[in-house]
Amino acid sequence: MTSLIAYITRRLIFLIFVLIGVTLMIFAITMLFSPEIRAYLYIRNIQHVTPDVVRSVIEKYGLNDPFYLQFSRWLGQVLQGNLGWSQSSAQPVAEAILTRWPYTFEIVIFAAPLIIFFGIYLGVQAGVHRNGIIDHVTRVFSIIGYSLPSFWLGLLLLSVFYGKLGWLPPGALSYEAEQAVHASSFVRYTHIDLIDGILNGQFWITLDVLKHVILPVIVIVVIDIAVLVRVMRSSMLESLSKQYVTAARAKGLDEKTVIYKHARRNALIPVATLSGMLVAGLLGGLVITETVFGFGGLGQWAANAAIGLDVPAVLGYAMLSALLFVIANLIVDIMYAYIDPRIRLE
Amino acid sequence: MTDEEILEVENLIVRFYTYEGIVEALDGVNLKIRKGEILGLVGETGCGKSVTSLSTLVLVPPPGSIEAGKIFLKTQGKKVNLLEQDRETLRTVRGSEISMVFQEPRAYLNPVYSVENQISEVLLVHRKEEFLKRAIETIKKKKKGSNFELKLYQRMLEKPKSLTTKLLSKFTSKRTLKMELHNEVVALLKNMEIPDPERVAKMYPHELSGGMAQRVVIAMALSCNPKILLADEPTTNLDVTVQAQILQLVSLLRKNFQSSILYVTHDLGVVAEICDRVAVMYAGNVVETADVFEIFNNPLHPYTKALLESIPRPGKEFKSIPGVVPSLIKPPRGCRFHDRCDFAMEVCRKVKPQFLEVKKDHFVACHLYGGPK
Amino acid sequence: MEPRVKEWKFMVKRVRETPLALAGLIIIIFFILIALLAPVLAPPTYSDPFKIPQDKEIYSLTPNPTPPTLTHIFGTSDQQYDIYYACIWGTITAFRVGLTVVLISLIIGLILGVAAAYYGGILDEILMRFTDIIIAFPGLILAMALVLAFPAAIPINLSSIFLVFSIICSFIIIMAHPDKKLLLITQMIVVAFLVSYIYQPIVLHLEITNLDKVLFAIAIVGWPGYARLIRGEILRVKNEDYIEAAKAAGSSDFQIITKHILPNTIYPLLVVVSMDVGSIVLTAAALSFLGIGAPIDYADWGQMISRSRAWIRNPEMLASNFHTFFIPGLFITLFSLGWNLLGDALRDVLDPMLRRR
Repeated sequence: MTSLIAYITRRLIFLIFVLIGVTLMIFAITMLFSPEIRAYLYIRNIQHVTPDVVRSVIEKYGLNDPFYLQFSRWLGQVLQGNLGWSQSSAQPVAEAILTRWPYTFEIVIFAAPLIIFFGIYLGVQAGVHRNGIIDHVTRVFSIIGYSLPSFWLGLLLLSVFYGKLGWLPPGALSYEAEQAVHASSFVRYTHIDLIDGILNGQFWITLDVLKHVILPVIVIVVIDIAVLVRVMRSSMLESLSKQYVTAARAKGLDEKTVIYKHARRNALIPVATLSGMLVAGLLGGLVITETVFGFGGLGQWAANAAIGLDVPAVLGYAMLSALLFVIANLIVDIMYAYIDPRIRLE
Repeated sequence: MTDEEILEVENLIVRFYTYEGIVEALDGVNLKIRKGEILGLVGETGCGKSVTSLSTLVLVPPPGSIEAGKIFLKTQGKKVNLLEQDRETLRTVRGSEISMVFQEPRAYLNPVYSVENQISEVLLVHRKEEFLKRAIETIKKKKKGSNFELKLYQRMLEKPKSLTTKLLSKFTSKRTLKMELHNEVVALLKNMEIPDPERVAKMYPHELSGGMAQRVVIAMALSCNPKILLADEPTTNLDVTVQAQILQLVSLLRKNFQSSILYVTHDLGVVAEICDRVAVMYAGNVVETADVFEIFNNPLHPYTKALLESIPRPGKEFKSIPGVVPSLIKPPRGCRFHDRCDFAMEVCRKVKPQFLEVKKDHFVACHLYGGPK
Repeated sequence: MEPRVKEWKFMVKRVRETPLALAGLIIIIFFILIALLAPVLAPPTYSDPFKIPQDKEIYSLTPNPTPPTLTHIFGTSDQQYDIYYACIWGTITAFRVGLTVVLISLIIGLILGVAAAYYGGILDEILMRFTDIIIAFPGLILAMALVLAFPAAIPINLSSIFLVFSIICSFIIIMAHPDKKLLLITQMIVVAFLVSYIYQPIVLHLEITNLDKVLFAIAIVGWPGYARLIRGEILRVKNEDYIEAAKAAGSSDFQIITKHILPNTIYPLLVVVSMDVGSIVLTAAALSFLGIGAPIDYADWGQMISRSRAWIRNPEMLASNFHTFFIPGLFITLFSLGWNLLGDALRDVLDPMLRRR
């Protein structure tokens, strides 16, 4: 067991290193802008700006100081929770994130498990029945899946299910639900409307959320599942050709055990890494999808920030993704060590 | 099939359908294994030895396919053709009546499961009832384990297929059963002269040395007391000293367990040391089968003779067999050895020799010793 | 027949036999034809062929998109831009985007990957960590941040370019003549100083459009993938026995790399390149869709669709303006599909294990 703990500690250190590196790189990007431009980030009232004001801001915030000084100052701020001011949303970045993350969460909580479980299942089936119907069908659909632009699929679905049929509207909540959630009688335990609806006994709110969440989840799942299925398939094929599979059959084990107990566990190893990256990468894909559906979550906020040249916001979003990437990797590493005992020695 | 014989392979034909063509891997192989004997299967790389042993278990991997022939196994007093059996029956045979040990032991053990896990697996497939009964006994006599477990095991004995039984057994701990299995695993490992069997049982394959892994695999193969052990070059990848130990083990096994062993190898030295009888293979055919002393002192088939002569000896000139093993995609017509044979005749080019008993218990497939002219 | 030629013939034969690969090839050829025939299929109205023509007549009536008619085969979009024209010339844009980005990423990635794998040690460690960090970012977000950060005009210091160039050449030469290392390094330092001194005053200002920024951003996000891929392949091949044999036979490092290592490592790269062209176009389209890519009248598929963002809450507009986003999106999908099909088929063909079945 100690080897497991030692391994996790090693991975943790590595990931912290990556996190620091990422923050450094993010900061370096901000430094690409001249001090004058960066001064604007500290000015809330852009109308009354003169060159003198700009100069005084540069003085005050030390925007001409050496790199390491500015970095440590910035890092200090970040660790205290101050991520700067988001021009495009007219609120502190930290606050913007806190108010919006529940919406993104509502999408991810459905999309991630669907992608992972279906991806693994379809991949295993495709690998086991090689060149069978499932294999060909999943292959074709997979390739089409990751060739689709997410915004196109989203618009298509929206125009059919909302434009033509009026069943599944965009946005995160309907108008009525929006009102209900902000009413004083509604207690926001988790700030996640999906769950709060149940906790407050108002199930219609939860259903409302579901109605709005279906299409974005479909878009994300269709596009991201493709890669997982393909990797699972080839990993399964490789595992099935290994000698311990023949040995398992020679022991008299039934085919199901051979496939699911012996072949699949080994095949899951590369898939585990991929799923971690996939989940972490969901935040990237959500930028487009949330924008298309006007979902009001972090992704859409980041998109608007990018359009509005709102640098602190984009960078704040980038930092969040990096953090999630690190956490996802850590979880994957732990799973990895559990599945494959050889890893614990690395 | 005589009383003594427990396995008979008759005219086995196996083909591999590859992109480059159809490989005629086995061209009518004939083999007989007797009770309690060690039969050596000798031949160069590629002659079809491994395919033969895999075929016995009907485990030829695609793109290979068993096209014709019969494989008779004497089981429960009856003579059964394995090639005609359904999958269920074959599964009861594999691992319990016929077991296999492979060349690279660590490749044949699943790297993500412990030794104990993989051996218990075999025990549970073939000896489940026995262990359930043992567990029940232990609970009753030694008062270890809960009442719930007792009832569960009894139910697993009586109604193994019911859904409730399956669900219950999946989600409960079954500690006593696991303990019984563990004890058996440790005992098996001890029999293989593995030091510190308790510790080894919990190890993973990558933590074992080559020799240790091979012993584990042998222990696993013998766990259900098979009648026949197929050993496919089990010592080829090991050091000579380890090889000697394993060979010793193998002959002990034959003595203690009365299993027959099909020992596939290309090493004539090993054959001389432990085999009772020898079958020589060339390019997909068994060309000669005889008692080990007969083969070494009185080889009849030209290939066997050439093989024995090519063994390097101090003071003797190197003698090799001219030519190369033919490609099995378009194998030569007639006798497959004819283009390298010193004694080839006209008929050898055209007609395939039959596998005949030329002397008592000495079979040869060669036109020099009979057959159509 | 020489074995290498035989291998290529085998590969081509296999590709021809796979229906999916053929489909991919057909699609790509279809788009190549469109790109080549663009001036014929959609004669440009302005001097810059990438400027989409607007129908001023209809515009005076309404700025709203109009459905397909005879004059406008695919209809018009917001502000009366001709969709057909945009899609045709957008094909050239797509090729330009895909191929340029792949080229840039490939060059950077190859050089760094080969250097890291070849020299090993600290260089390798640094590269690995650096690529780890870049890969930690979801690409789209990093690309977004970079597009924002890029200034409108880059001052290019000619001397630094020449410096980098000469350093790379020197490394290659050193690899070919390992015995003359010291001499060559001294020469390299001297040349470097001379070059930077001579070219110091020359500074070019390169104006870059938004679309170019997108290109560079995606290339910067993409090179780590290639670097790691090529590094992994080289490391795998480096330890094979035939490399030791070549060394024992006296081949120089340069010979080993070009004759033994590179030919064996190229194949996975081909697969990745082919599929990347598809995904790069998707990413570029996404950035254009958000509005931070091509400008509004530029012939780019993603850009055409970005107008649709305004109609999201408006079901009638969505339904009636369906053609404005459906058709350009179809082009994007098909383009990406073609390359993905090809890459997928190549991967199957080149997989050594699955080959000879």
